[in-house]
Amino acid sequence: MTMLTILQTIEVAAAYLAVTLLLPWALLRRRMTGIRLPARFMACFMIGNFYCMNLVYLLQLLHISCRLTLFLGTLAPFIAVAAFQWKASLGARLERRLEQLRQVSEGQLGRRTLMLRLGRRLGRMSSGWLGEWLAPRWPEALLAAGTVALILYIYGTNTVNVYGYCASDMVLHNYWINHMENNNIFVDGVYPFGFHCMIYYLHEVFAIPVYVLLRVFALPQTLMIHLMLLAFLRLLCKARYTPYIGVMAYVASGVFYQYTYYRYYAALPQEYGMLFILPAAWFAIAFLREKDFARRRNLILFAIAISMTLTVHFYDTIVAGLLCLGIGAGFVFRCLRWRYLKGLMLAGIAGILIAVLPMAAAYAMGKPLQGSLYWGMNMLSSGGGEAGEGGVEGKGGSGEDGKKEAGGTQDSGKKAPQGGGLAEKLQKGVVCVLEELKYYVTNDSMDAARFMLGSVGAVLALGVLWLLLRRPDYGGALLSVGVFMGVLCILQASAKLGLPQLLEVSRYSVYIGYGIPIIWGLGLDAVLYLLFGEKRAIDAGAVAALAAACAAVALTGVRRPACLSAYESNDAIICLTNILHESGGEGSWTICSANDEQQMTWGRGYHYELIEFLRKQEEVKEQPVITIPTDTVYFFIEKVPLLYLDYLNTIRPSREVSLEGAETPLPKVKGILPYIGEQRWVTMSHMYYWARAFRELYPNEMEVYYETDAFVCYRIRQDAYNLYNFALDYGYNE
Amino acid sequence: MISRRNYFAITILMATVLFLCMCLNSLKDGWNDYAVNRYTETAENYPSQINMYLPGGEEEEPAPEEGTEDVWSLAAASRDRVVWIGPEDSALYGVVEAWVTYTKRDIAAYPSLTALKAAEGEGAAWMLVTDPACVDWESGEELELLEGYVEAGTHLVLPGLPEVSVIEGNKKLRDFLGIRKVLEQETTVTGYYLREGFLLGGGTFYLDRESPDAEELLPGSEAYPGEKTFPWYLPGYGTKVYMRGIAAGEQVKAENYPIMLWRKSHGTASVFAVNGGLMDGLQGMGLLSAMAAETDSYGLYPVVNAQNMILAGYPSLADENPEEMERLYSRSVKQVFQELLWPNIAAVLEKHRYKATCMMTPQYDYTDDNLPDGRQLAYYLKIFNEHGAETGLWGLSVSDTPLAGKLASDGAFLREALGGYGFASLYAGDMEDLEIREALGEELLGSVRTVVREHDGAQAMPVGFLSGDVTVQRVIGDGLAYTYENDFLVRCMETALGYFSISFDLSRVAYPEEDGDGWEQLSKALGTTIGTYGQTFRGFHATTASECDARIRQFLALDYRDGRIDDAIHLQVEGITGPAWFVLRTHNEAIEDMEGGSWQELEEGAYLIEVTDKRAVLTLKPADERFYR
Repeated sequence: MTMLTILQTIEVAAAYLAVTLLLPWALLRRRMTGIRLPARFMACFMIGNFYCMNLVYLLQLLHISCRLTLFLGTLAPFIAVAAFQWKASLGARLERRLEQLRQVSEGQLGRRTLMLRLGRRLGRMSSGWLGEWLAPRWPEALLAAGTVALILYIYGTNTVNVYGYCASDMVLHNYWINHMENNNIFVDGVYPFGFHCMIYYLHEVFAIPVYVLLRVFALPQTLMIHLMLLAFLRLLCKARYTPYIGVMAYVASGVFYQYTYYRYYAALPQEYGMLFILPAAWFAIAFLREKDFARRRNLILFAIAISMTLTVHFYDTIVAGLLCLGIGAGFVFRCLRWRYLKGLMLAGIAGILIAVLPMAAAYAMGKPLQGSLYWGMNMLSSGGGEAGEGGVEGKGGSGEDGKKEAGGTQDSGKKAPQGGGLAEKLQKGVVCVLEELKYYVTNDSMDAARFMLGSVGAVLALGVLWLLLRRPDYGGALLSVGVFMGVLCILQASAKLGLPQLLEVSRYSVYIGYGIPIIWGLGLDAVLYLLFGEKRAIDAGAVAALAAACAAVALTGVRRPACLSAYESNDAIICLTNILHESGGEGSWTICSANDEQQMTWGRGYHYELIEFLRKQEEVKEQPVITIPTDTVYFFIEKVPLLYLDYLNTIRPSREVSLEGAETPLPKVKGILPYIGEQRWVTMSHMYYWARAFRELYPNEMEVYYETDAFVCYRIRQDAYNLYNFALDYGYNE
Repeated sequence: MISRRNYFAITILMATVLFLCMCLNSLKDGWNDYAVNRYTETAENYPSQINMYLPGGEEEEPAPEEGTEDVWSLAAASRDRVVWIGPEDSALYGVVEAWVTYTKRDIAAYPSLTALKAAEGEGAAWMLVTDPACVDWESGEELELLEGYVEAGTHLVLPGLPEVSVIEGNKKLRDFLGIRKVLEQETTVTGYYLREGFLLGGGTFYLDRESPDAEELLPGSEAYPGEKTFPWYLPGYGTKVYMRGIAAGEQVKAENYPIMLWRKSHGTASVFAVNGGLMDGLQGMGLLSAMAAETDSYGLYPVVNAQNMILAGYPSLADENPEEMERLYSRSVKQVFQELLWPNIAAVLEKHRYKATCMMTPQYDYTDDNLPDGRQLAYYLKIFNEHGAETGLWGLSVSDTPLAGKLASDGAFLREALGGYGFASLYAGDMEDLEIREALGEELLGSVRTVVREHDGAQAMPVGFLSGDVTVQRVIGDGLAYTYENDFLVRCMETALGYFSISFDLSRVAYPEEDGDGWEQLSKALGTTIGTYGQTFRGFHATTASECDARIRQFLALDYRDGRIDDAIHLQVEGITGPAWFVLRTHNEAIEDMEGGSWQELEEGAYLIEVTDKRAVLTLKPADERFYR
């Protein structure tokens, strides 16, 4: 299964990158000459994602979304460009291009010969063009490869070892994406659809099951989030290697509290939307840096990026907005000029409109908003008071579906004192911010919190200094980032400071964590720039700084790759994968379990809720027949039930099913509650003893399909005319 | 002018063609020793009736080999004891006794449960087969007694059920039998459904012919196994239904169809109940074997492993019934047999790799002037020899000539045509035992060692000994009249013994009795029968009557013990020297490896085992393993 997961991850990553990087590059490579590689990388990525999302949405709106239309839609820009470029000779060119295919189809040219030719061509390309390109850049290429390897190691360990969904609301996303197959994009109400469109696109075009995408997409997504960070820093920094300091520290340092990065272990829309925040910032900065030419391109890309943040998750738009605010402050000398301000505002509004209009249209047509949007709006409208007053927000926050998390609570009941002079207020405010940073962003280390806040202050100071040294673009960028991070740090303490609460309190830490490496990387770069100017020695200084940063990370504690306790056990996923593999679309089967295989196997099999099954067993005297009319029935039983407690499971289950659990009455609660914590243990204990009793009656028929110390899956193969009666007095029916 | 070189080449070529065309055929003819029956080897060293295993005989525990005591002591555990409750003169007892004999178990019979209880010291029964008429269901005491036996681990087989009124009024009895509800006192079904995995041959429907797919599923059928009218019971929990009747009306859900054959599990043991008279007759043996296989993690029992196609009354060597033949086929009976029947039959048999046993007769009618042709005899013996078919003697005649007279006439003809011919098999049809025994004393039948007889519903032993050295093998189906009853019987026989013998009475071609006796119709029936069985039971070996005889002797003589330790089944065979065949039934397990023999999968969960050594070890593995782990 590990090997399968690795292959699936490679497949998903290849599909995603091919669509979002390779195709846009192939289409627009001639139009992007003269743009720096990191910016080109961002541009291609933005265009690829934007096109896919909106293509899916358009086709969904027309109710014609399927593999064929998506495929044609993907090819459409190429056809359009080709038709425009080679108006007269398109036919002849097409004929020439298809000649080889014709030869292959008619047997004139062997497939192996064709592959050989293509291979030689690729070889020539790699040894020629690629070789030339790489020759002067090999140290950086090595460093970039090392960074990618580090990211894959830190985050990939979870992906290849934990097969289940690592966030509780992923089944909900799974459900929404499944219904896109019926061209029902807003099945559960209006919701930012960008993430779902992308997953649906990959599922439909590449025939990758949705549950596989949701399981493994987190890794390519996280890799790209970090590569965006690297590209952003690479564009802003003067030294070649300082960007790696920030990224390396972010990935490897143990100073960050786990919640700042645990969400990367799951393919979640908010994290997916983070991909577009830094490109939005960069294209805004690039626009403001420009004197006159090519202004439109950066504005368009800025609009696209802003649009996608909103299309994917509102929180990302809020953070992107804060970043724009920072840019406005950093580049205030340009923003006050109407032609810049007008351009930025128009692009921003266009971006927001592009994202909002489809959702508004759906809302106007009678689709209600999805529940989590009300939750998000409540968070906004409740202001800074709610969390502070209630004091119930767990460290790590609560899920959008309303589940509270395990973890410590902070003493946030008291607001920051209001009395005293300005200096005193400021001092108390800083202390308040430091406490919040210590609690939410660091591993309860005041020193780390001070260092982080100090770094923000230092970057602000360096920004001002560089402005004074007449480097307005560089200084403006430093100030932009500094202001943005400063505002974020203050917002982290907004509950205590009595400020408006823009996001759910724990989510700030995710963005602060993501912004800190920019502060560190850019701050060091500013210092090196100050020391070496634009001399070549700056790169040597950057290497030394990188080495020093590595040493500092090693001294302050290195982060170990973590493995979460998923919301579905590895064993259940292994069983599910085997069932799908064995059924191959034939026969009918039902999984009776406490997990949401209904969504994972959507359209392939059936699902029976365990608690419903057990509740029917309680009525065995009145209803003595329980049948499940499929050829095969699987029972997933956890011998060591999962806890299913916190939003991101961090506590390992250890309590085994027992007689005591079976003797406890079944939980009467509804929804997901019978599967959480103690209730899950009771439910599983009942199920375990039912299965044992049933197996005594059917020792040859109820076979063990898969078993480990913590899990067992039973399989019963049925005859359609002679279904087994699963009703049974197993001794613990109430 | 032709060059010398070309002339030489052409000559060589012509010589080669001549050799290929002429000499090979001449050699083949010369080496075809058709006048000698290859199956008439001496049967002196073959196992005879004195070697036959009989239940209750003296047992000699096999001495364990040094160092292997633990493994083989399990295999040498005492044999299963089957107890019959009911009258010993009933047909059902005959079936149970035959099955016990074939499966090498022990049997004890008691007239009632009280008698069984009184004899408790004689050891616990593994299976109790109880005539429901011999149990006082209403008293409650005997039901408790049965419950006690089942709780103690004895499987209970009820070949029939108590009166429906008794069942309806007794909840305890219903729970015991696994009946949830009596839906109707009596219902008439329109067909049957047999579940896959119970009898060999897979699941099947037996539907009334009105049903549109009946012809496709099983053509040409009318007679059903068992009764079509019986009480309508619905199964309770803990039951597994093997056979259901198909209720009339489309409103009835399949899960509510009346049950005919089911199992109620009571934890350590099961109660098997049969509704609708399914166990009456030979099929009871197959049902018992299938039930036995369901009671444990595996079932292993010896089988004959023989499938015979008997062409009864084929060929005839005289030019008989010429007017009718001329009217129907515009040719003589000799030409019909030679040009129409044989190519057709040979092609179908060869396609399904069956061997024919041709029960020839010099003539059908001994009262007319049409005498047999000696050249025809040579022709047929040659081609039968080439095709590996066996030539036996048809002991019947259409002129009702006494057997002695027929044998005298046939003997004279054979002496004249070939200087005599030794038959190894005789087709005796429905002749009486005495008549056959007398006939076997005749010179012509001196070399006969097996007699093929028609299936008589009353006779329980499908294979056995007719006399000390002559075996009898019963035909269990008429290949030209296919019925559901026959199909069910064949499935049961294949399950119990790995044996079936189908006869095709081809005298009907020469002497048609009704419109459907034309070869056009009969050839279809023949093709359907052979095709159906050929597809369904392709795992068992095709044999001639004499080959089957050798296997019957081995089967009857052998004794065996088996036991399981973890994944290994240990099998010990005694009493014979040659190979022995067994059927292994598993549940979700497959054979991984075997020592002391070989195996072949018959269908899912069923294997044909050929044991060549005295001891064999079968290693099992899960039938399907997970691809991802």
